[in-house]
Amino acid sequence: MVKRFREIFQQELPFFIGVPALVWQVLFLYVPICYLVFLSVTKVDVDGVAFTLGRYAEFFQVPYLRVLLRSLILATGNAVLCVSVGYPIAYYLAVRAHARSKSLLLMLLMLPFWTNFLVQVYAWFFVFERQGLLNTVLMRLHIIQEPLYILNTTLAIWIIMLYCYLPFAIMPMYAILEKFDVRLLEASYDLGARAWQTFLRITLPLSMSGVMTGFFLVFIPSFGEFVIPGLAGGDKQMFVGSLISHYFLTAGDEYTGATFTCLGALVLATAALTLRYCMNVMIKRVR
Amino acid sequence: MKSIRIENVSKSFEGEQVIENLSLTIPSGEFFALLGPSGSGKTTLLRLIAGFEFADKGAIYLDDQDITRMPINERKINTVFQNYALFPHMNVFENVAYGLRVQGMDKKLIHEKVMRFLGIVNLEKYAHKSVRQLSGGQQQRVALARAIITEPDVLLLDEPLAALDLKLREKMLLELIDLQYELKTTFVYVTHDQFEALTVAGSMAIMNTDGEIEQVGTPKNIYEFPASSFVAKFVGTTNMFSGKFTRAGSYGTVAVDGLGTLHVALPTHQEWLHDGRTVIVSVRPEKVEISKQPLTGFSNCMMGEVKAIVYHGRSTQYNVRLANGAIMSVFRQNEEHFPSDNKVIDYDDPVGLYWQDKNVTLLER
Amino acid sequence: MENQYGISRVTLPMYVALVYAFLYIPIMVLVTFSFNESAFSHAWKGFTTDWYVQLWESTEVWDALQNSFIVALGTVSASLTMGFLIVVCGSYTFLGRTLILFYGSLAAPEIVTAVGLLSFFTLFNIPLGIITLIAAHTVMGLGYVVPVLHSRFSELDYNLIEASLDLGATRFQTFRSIVVPLMAPALLSVGLLVFIVSWDDFIISFFCSGGSAQTLPMYVFSMIRSGPTPVVNAISTLLLFITGICVTTFLSFRTRMGGMLW
Repeated sequence: MVKRFREIFQQELPFFIGVPALVWQVLFLYVPICYLVFLSVTKVDVDGVAFTLGRYAEFFQVPYLRVLLRSLILATGNAVLCVSVGYPIAYYLAVRAHARSKSLLLMLLMLPFWTNFLVQVYAWFFVFERQGLLNTVLMRLHIIQEPLYILNTTLAIWIIMLYCYLPFAIMPMYAILEKFDVRLLEASYDLGARAWQTFLRITLPLSMSGVMTGFFLVFIPSFGEFVIPGLAGGDKQMFVGSLISHYFLTAGDEYTGATFTCLGALVLATAALTLRYCMNVMIKRVR
Repeated sequence: MKSIRIENVSKSFEGEQVIENLSLTIPSGEFFALLGPSGSGKTTLLRLIAGFEFADKGAIYLDDQDITRMPINERKINTVFQNYALFPHMNVFENVAYGLRVQGMDKKLIHEKVMRFLGIVNLEKYAHKSVRQLSGGQQQRVALARAIITEPDVLLLDEPLAALDLKLREKMLLELIDLQYELKTTFVYVTHDQFEALTVAGSMAIMNTDGEIEQVGTPKNIYEFPASSFVAKFVGTTNMFSGKFTRAGSYGTVAVDGLGTLHVALPTHQEWLHDGRTVIVSVRPEKVEISKQPLTGFSNCMMGEVKAIVYHGRSTQYNVRLANGAIMSVFRQNEEHFPSDNKVIDYDDPVGLYWQDKNVTLLER
Repeated sequence: MENQYGISRVTLPMYVALVYAFLYIPIMVLVTFSFNESAFSHAWKGFTTDWYVQLWESTEVWDALQNSFIVALGTVSASLTMGFLIVVCGSYTFLGRTLILFYGSLAAPEIVTAVGLLSFFTLFNIPLGIITLIAAHTVMGLGYVVPVLHSRFSELDYNLIEASLDLGATRFQTFRSIVVPLMAPALLSVGLLVFIVSWDDFIISFFCSGGSAQTLPMYVFSMIRSGPTPVVNAISTLLLFITGICVTTFLSFRTRMGGMLW
């Protein structure tokens, strides 16, 4: 018996060597997620474990829907902002920058990208504080008389979100634009097109896949974001992430937490797919 | 040196049958060429011999040893790859030494042997250069040295000269011939270039696009006595006529529509030949004489007009339109700088084409 | 491209400069004020390294640093080893078809993975700590390691592996002498990447460390919560410095080896 097992082991050695990663991934990623789904539809009462969709129904009330909507708006808005602000940067880096400055600029872009986002948030605290840099400068220039209260407002959340996620949008757009065949642009100019026309008709459509990647690379994490809104917005408003954190850590209620997490994931997936579909339609229409 | 015997081997990839029921014997110590167009399966056959693929059906023998399912690293068969496959992170010495190192040979012995083989390929001075710094020809020789240093029973070469320019290729071909003669190892050389094959091969096999072997023989046999029109057209160029055969004593005639009667010599194998059968007559262009003045002493003569003249350096090719509209090619050696007037042929000149009956080949298909 | 048309010749570089300023001004302010004398005012009161000294003397900081380091190192070792093995073995066993499962970790928001793991660990009463953190971070790490190594591995000239076997080497010898050296640059750069990802990670650590093992980001978070002090500036500056070194090393690797990672 043991001999037979040893034979099989020797023959299929590559499989056994490679399989740990698979086991790990399934055990620590897919099983927990399945377990979450399981938790979301079960309840424990006197008779034991029972199946219920009741908690999902409970979340279809205004306060919860508002939370979901708030996160959606933040995610979508942030993604749109990041992509819009970031596209000219990606374009400049890929197409216009000279070789020497390009590597320097890329490196400068990487540093904030890799910085711990808590450090990034904290840096903005300094700028926004009542006695922070922004207020000090504006007051010195006599543009304002009283210090602005930016911290703990929605504006702060949006600015800091943009700051943290901007490089995520720039990277994929840069990657696509970098592979761009410059000769296409030369051909366009050769045929008499002006700068704007070339951009709208050639560059932009062909870089759309990068734009979409950048959009979703920002959209998906932004939806679950709660640290930045919590710290920058002063915890005044609840976002999807804050609620999940509340259920699991503060209230210790993993059943409700699981339900809300799955609900949130479903909302996210639906929103993402819808957005992707709309974007594809728009792209086809423009072409 | 050992022989390779391939028996009824079949191989398919993703539903496409590349080779079916193929049998071939490669004699030991031979410089054997496998010639065929792209997609004929010749590289697949080579890979089956090397062990990179296993045959679906059939068997492969190295002398008497069945190697059909033997793993690559157990076969004493080495390959020179088309793209050389030199290990980029090792220098020349380490690349060549690799085969000896993995066998656990003593370091000193390795050093001696590597330097000796680098000497054979004239690369001793490059022993410590990175392979990326070498030219195509030099890389090719490193690949060669690496493959022969372990003294394999058979050496497989997969279009090794494809990436080199013409002059270098010609030089390498001669070097390969010398090398094989000295080593006495069986070489199997795969190529789609007939010039290479005809130059190096002691014997060769022609494969067609369906993965079948059309003919096996010496280069001269294959060129002068092709077994089929595929071989006649693939190796060299030829003129072909199709018509009805009639025996005439120890010779024959073929009646071609619109052209008249051609006189042909009978082939060695005549079992398939009978009166009334449609045959193909193949006449190589260099076997035909072209002349503005009538010539005597030739069994065949056709009249026509010169429609194209192509200068090839050592010979000139004339394309002549015959009575039935068909075009016949003739190669004429450019023997003189300034040929006399009666020898100069121009466009639209009426000319006569002459050839002997024993210089044609009769083909079944 | 040499031809630059229209006003974008001037406005585009200006815009880029503006955005880069936006990216760097907060960081520079942060760093500057970590050397500020005064603890509460935001006016410059004088240069001092007092706050760094405070950091040096704080046991909490050193504990958090140690934890972060252990977790990051453990994560890199585990994910590099397992990821490399499955990529290599996946090329000729059916494991290759399962590789697509590794592209999923980046598709979901981290918080989903985090709470999933939390419930999972609670279910089996696994005590939360450094081990569970390493386990969690390794999942993230595999999500980077497997795609990158797989793409690099499929770009390897397969002829090289065939040539090695052809010359008589065993599979293990081929792995050791050919595959590993050729994959080394990718292994190094993705290893560095995973290190940084684990080092900076907050969300998964927040949920899965159970309070017993505090990593550096968690420490920073608690300090931000309790109110900004120059000590936080100091530690942030240090983190920035470390990141800067890693990034420069990473980029110098890349330019020497060539090829993009994303």
